[in-house]
Amino acid sequence: MSIEAIPAEKPKRNYNVLFGLTLLALLVLLWIVLSLATPSFASGNNIANLLRQGSMIAIMAVGQTFVIITGGIDLSVGAVVGFATVVVALLINAGVPIALAILITLLVGVAIGLFHGFGIVKMGLPPFIITLATLTSLRGIGLLMTNGNSININSDSFTAFSRNSFIGIPNLFWMVILVGVPAYVFLHHSRWGRYLFSVGSNAEASRLSGVNVQRTIYMAYTLSGLCAAFVGVLLAARIGIGNPTQAEGWELQAIASSVIGGTSLFGAVGSVHGPLLGAFILATINNGANLLNVNSFWQRIITGALIIIIVYFDGLRRRGK
Amino acid sequence: MTPTAQELHPAPVLEPGRTILELRGLEKRYPGTHALKPVNLAFRSGEIHAIVGENGAGKSTLIKLLTGVMPRTSGEVFWEGQPAALATPHEAMALGINAVHQEVVLCRHLTVAANMFLGEENSRFGILQQRAMVREAQKIIDDLGFDLPAHVVLGDLTIGQQQLIAAARATVRGTKFLIFDEPTAYLTRKEADQLFTLIRRLKGEGVTIIYISHRMEEVFELADRVSVLRDGTLVGTRNIAETNDAELVKMMINRSIEQVYHKEHFTPGAPIVETRNLSGKGFENISMTVRAGEIVGLYGLIGAGRSEFVTSLYGRHKKSAGQILWEGKQVQINSEHDAIKLGMALAPESRRDQGLCLNLPVGLNLNLPIYKRISSNLLISNAKEKAEADRQIAGLRIKTPTRGALASSLSGGNQQKIVIGKWLAHGAKLFIFDEPTVGVDVGTKAEIYRLFGELLSKGAGIILISSYLPEVYELADTLHVFRRGKLVATHGFNTASHEDILTQALAEKQEKLGGQT
Repeated sequence: MSIEAIPAEKPKRNYNVLFGLTLLALLVLLWIVLSLATPSFASGNNIANLLRQGSMIAIMAVGQTFVIITGGIDLSVGAVVGFATVVVALLINAGVPIALAILITLLVGVAIGLFHGFGIVKMGLPPFIITLATLTSLRGIGLLMTNGNSININSDSFTAFSRNSFIGIPNLFWMVILVGVPAYVFLHHSRWGRYLFSVGSNAEASRLSGVNVQRTIYMAYTLSGLCAAFVGVLLAARIGIGNPTQAEGWELQAIASSVIGGTSLFGAVGSVHGPLLGAFILATINNGANLLNVNSFWQRIITGALIIIIVYFDGLRRRGK
Repeated sequence: MTPTAQELHPAPVLEPGRTILELRGLEKRYPGTHALKPVNLAFRSGEIHAIVGENGAGKSTLIKLLTGVMPRTSGEVFWEGQPAALATPHEAMALGINAVHQEVVLCRHLTVAANMFLGEENSRFGILQQRAMVREAQKIIDDLGFDLPAHVVLGDLTIGQQQLIAAARATVRGTKFLIFDEPTAYLTRKEADQLFTLIRRLKGEGVTIIYISHRMEEVFELADRVSVLRDGTLVGTRNIAETNDAELVKMMINRSIEQVYHKEHFTPGAPIVETRNLSGKGFENISMTVRAGEIVGLYGLIGAGRSEFVTSLYGRHKKSAGQILWEGKQVQINSEHDAIKLGMALAPESRRDQGLCLNLPVGLNLNLPIYKRISSNLLISNAKEKAEADRQIAGLRIKTPTRGALASSLSGGNQQKIVIGKWLAHGAKLFIFDEPTVGVDVGTKAEIYRLFGELLSKGAGIILISSYLPEVYELADTLHVFRRGKLVATHGFNTASHEDILTQALAEKQEKLGGQT
């Protein structure tokens, strides 16, 4: 076998694309079935609503995926979203210009991510533990700041953003593209993306090869915190209030989206398009179940079953390869 | 020191023992490769049967078929005259076929005793009889002459000691057919001797031993017969008394033994690195110089402080005292990053734990140290990434279907080429190779040694760590002997005898050994 005849990197990329296409096909199939099953699904209103629902989880899932690729997990993202709604609401109500309020909120997300990095790298805590601790404390801090009340945001221009559309597509969905495209370039076409994978695969080997492992871990959690804080801003705009108990359980939806999208919880396997598709598949199932009047308890069961089925078949194919 | 093979085994016993396992046309195909071409071979009870061959010659495939880890494609297997399917590991074990692998596959967090009885615990009414198990395990270990405690956690032992426990474990399970896959790769000489004693004793009890090793002297020391595999074909089987090194090597690689240790001599240039009284955890007061164009060999037992010394030099671990001069100037090396920036490269001891990202593509592994260079601003240049990886794959003749294949899918020798290859494009001046040929076949070894010559000719310096004396002896221009964290002797190229060097490396241990016999 001559080495010159070796085809370029095709297998891996083909596989990624193939898996992405399978997920996309599943999503389209769901849409077709639901359009046939219920007349209200294909209405413009419902589709816009579906895109809004899916967008926020999708953005969280992208940040989450960076962390999972390093072999970690970020359980705090739901709490960060809730906390961010409070921060942005308080800032706007205090008269801070909207752009600045958003910027500060995003920086809070960055700070939380840096704290996670610190806990993991410097204190040697497992990611599960440090982010679990933040999950409960952030909710507590938010409740202290608001006395347990919701804060109504008194800025129409802020809340209008989430309801409006641009060339027929909801603004929230545009935000997915705003996050997704740079995230894709970052993960698949920059060296920091490669480092995320290498650290997730073998941190010691990466370190001995000159990769700054600590910085890579800081980066992953910071990006996850940043994505979650951004979702917090979007959520605050959408519901018009700041409330620390919002987004309960969203971390699990973000993780589920990521896993459905082909990310391995053992690290070193993942993409950006996978979690995005995963998030919209989940959103479609919830939306469709509502329209079909399926008991909401069943929705949870269906979601669970779907995670098992998709990940099982993905694993089968990887092993078969 | 040890009696020669002839003294221990006066003419191998060769009246054919009962045939215990017979292979007829055993064959294995994977999609795209014919891993094992039809093999006919009969193993006798109570023989030590060595199997040698290059990496990828089909040895691992053969073991996997015999232990039921993988199903065969075709052919028949007869166990004591009866056809056997060997479809599952469980079936193989039930027949009495067991294997001790090169990498210890036991539970590091459990005690030695718990590991010995894993799966066959002694319990009464569902309650584990822990103390009884420890007692029993200790009895077995003492009986085998291993000086090891049964109550400690396995992970606290050295890899070599863990390997002995793995071997002991395999012997207590009604084993009739025991496969050793490169068991001595990580053993010290003393541990290896203990293992050999165990193996001979099993042979005496009528157990068939399959012994796979790259080390010829072990094959000649232990085996009764030897089979050679090359490219999936059984080239031949010889009685050990009727063959020699040269013939076996020739059968394995179609190349003569002189061509393996290929040594080029260069006139050493300016010093690249110099350590002065460097001390740290596991080593003290190490002063040495590596000059351009020379190989400095570090020989000693595992745990003698060689790896600790080089990893500290490389900035991975802290130094407690001493100085490092790089090209004549004093430098501080506080991290791997500092070392790499100066121009050091480290191919670490353990491929699996320190060398490779196994579940990532070959190309990514090769390019890991140089991503900064092949990125323009923020983005990686796809063209450069491909070109660099393909250059190393072609230059080192790494056998991989594509640069996108996962590193885990390659054979050990090819993986080792990646560990080395990733530093070639980086342009280092000092290469540190820590046990670069462990578990690597003769052909790949020769390629790696030739690569050393190339690096030297370009003005690089090399630190070569090896526990395999012939390797450092034949290759190093300067040979330092380590014992218990200290540099105890220094020799030039081929100036001391093997015996002297061994004595210097062993010293106290040998006295102890002498006391026992």
